[in-house]
Amino acid sequence: MEEILFGIGISALAGALATVAGAAEDTESDIGSQGDPNSQVQLAPQMGYVHRIYNKAISGEPPAYGLWVALAAGIAWALMAIQYNAILALIIGSAVAVFVQGVYATTAYLGRTASLAKFEQPVYIDILKSVTTVTMAHAFVAVFTTVTMCFLIIEALGHPFPLPLMGLVWGIALGAAGSATGNPFYGKERQYQNYPFGAGLPISASGDIVRYAEAGQRSSLDNGWFTSKGAGPASGICFGLIVFFELWRTILFEPFAAGWGAVIAGAVIIIVFMVIDRMVETWARKTYGPYTTAEAVTEEEATA
Amino acid sequence: MTVKIEASEGGMDHNVMLGIGLVGALVCIYLVYLNTLMSTEVFAFFGGLAAIIALWWGTDSIKNLCSYGLGTGVPSAGMIALGSGVVAMLFATKLAGISPLLVPVGCVVVAAILGAILGFISDKVLNMNIPVMTRMIAELTVVGSLTTLGFTAMVAGTFSFGDLITGATSVFGVEIASYASSVIGGCVLATIFMLGAIAIQHPFNACLGPNESWDRTQMCAIECGALSMIVIAIMSLAFLSLPAVVISFVISIILWGWSYSELIKLSKRDAFAWLDSQPIREVGGEQ
Repeated sequence: MEEILFGIGISALAGALATVAGAAEDTESDIGSQGDPNSQVQLAPQMGYVHRIYNKAISGEPPAYGLWVALAAGIAWALMAIQYNAILALIIGSAVAVFVQGVYATTAYLGRTASLAKFEQPVYIDILKSVTTVTMAHAFVAVFTTVTMCFLIIEALGHPFPLPLMGLVWGIALGAAGSATGNPFYGKERQYQNYPFGAGLPISASGDIVRYAEAGQRSSLDNGWFTSKGAGPASGICFGLIVFFELWRTILFEPFAAGWGAVIAGAVIIIVFMVIDRMVETWARKTYGPYTTAEAVTEEEATA
Repeated sequence: MTVKIEASEGGMDHNVMLGIGLVGALVCIYLVYLNTLMSTEVFAFFGGLAAIIALWWGTDSIKNLCSYGLGTGVPSAGMIALGSGVVAMLFATKLAGISPLLVPVGCVVVAAILGAILGFISDKVLNMNIPVMTRMIAELTVVGSLTTLGFTAMVAGTFSFGDLITGATSVFGVEIASYASSVIGGCVLATIFMLGAIAIQHPFNACLGPNESWDRTQMCAIECGALSMIVIAIMSLAFLSLPAVVISFVISIILWGWSYSELIKLSKRDAFAWLDSQPIREVGGEQ
């Protein structure tokens, strides 16, 4: 009994860390316009809309976060192998990973923007200086919490994977959760807030992203402010629930039917969530519709 | 709408780059073998140089492959390169049982065969019908395998399978051999895999656009490789002696600093304008 209580406690702690990680991850990616919102940021100058939005095209979020977290985990693992204190090793690992993330971000912005010279999109180096550091700070929170969660799962729950592999798996999961949950808030709505809510993206509106703010010009930092209110917490809840339910079902149901209990519990959780998702979707369509067929032409594009 | 990609005109011929990349990477990986010959660890950094040369060549292969309108396919091309490359590389390290000198060459041969099969499946069976697909996937697999082999040699100072699965861990000051503290057992290979996969796709993915230029993209490849070398040098703390780590680290920092400053100069050269704290310059889009 005591062991199960300990396991549930660790699950709750890991879930809490994952919630913070998910919120920070999505805020970071939206500030940099990574993932699918990136394609419109890239397209805008080509349609004549020069903007001051960061263009952080470092592959999709899942591979990118796979690298940042696996890197933090790899360095932490190496430092622990030479008898460093675990907490210090995790912090140094995350800091080095975030340095790499920052360098990749600057090369992506410079590269993409310089290649758009034909469309008269200038490189704004003040964006580079002010926004890169903010994405690095959010990335540090996301990477440190995720790698700490991996460390907890291994050390406290006795998971057999080594830390770098665990970092790779959960890093990809973190990127996927943020990309799937948080990005639509920014990419589908905030970039197109001058079009009706839920209108999708007609071809004629491609690249016509919002470039001006209440006062002056929209900065990518405004996207961070917006994301931290809606999309970030949503991604956090998504990733937190994934981690919590994943650990919770294993700890409670693994003793049943030689491990199959955990598999069945996982399937049941997925079915329950599918029903909830469907109910939320039909509720949202009824409340915020109607949708006309003319607006049904949507763009599903994820460059970057 | 797919972002239109136009491969830059000019630059070095791809076949010449293939030659330089293949020979350069192989020579550098063989130089790591000096560690075994001279019973030292200070030559580990040659593995990182091999990876940089391979990435430099692979960037051009990705550019060739993806100029056929594969906008979203750039990161995927990097993933398949490293994913198939790591299989070839692991197989090749086993050849050290016959002779360690067989490993780098065996790695290239196995990767080329594996890549050709994968390329054939993508092109003909999945009907993607891209003329250069089979050749470029084969090239990318070789690049992926050389990158992982190079970084593995850099982090461990060796490229034979036996050494990669035995590490030493210290328990109360006593050194004991253990699988869990080795390169493969500790899954440092997972980090190397991701470092290579992002580094190979990033240069072209970051620089694509109508004004993409050959020298800037290739400089970005060197920068990504050198950046990966820095962190590989830090991770080699777990396997190599301190002088060897310091040598690797200093060389990586110098290489990265040079390539990053060159990249910024080239971006400044190619950019439409280089502005600090200036407003949006309207060019008269469809308002």
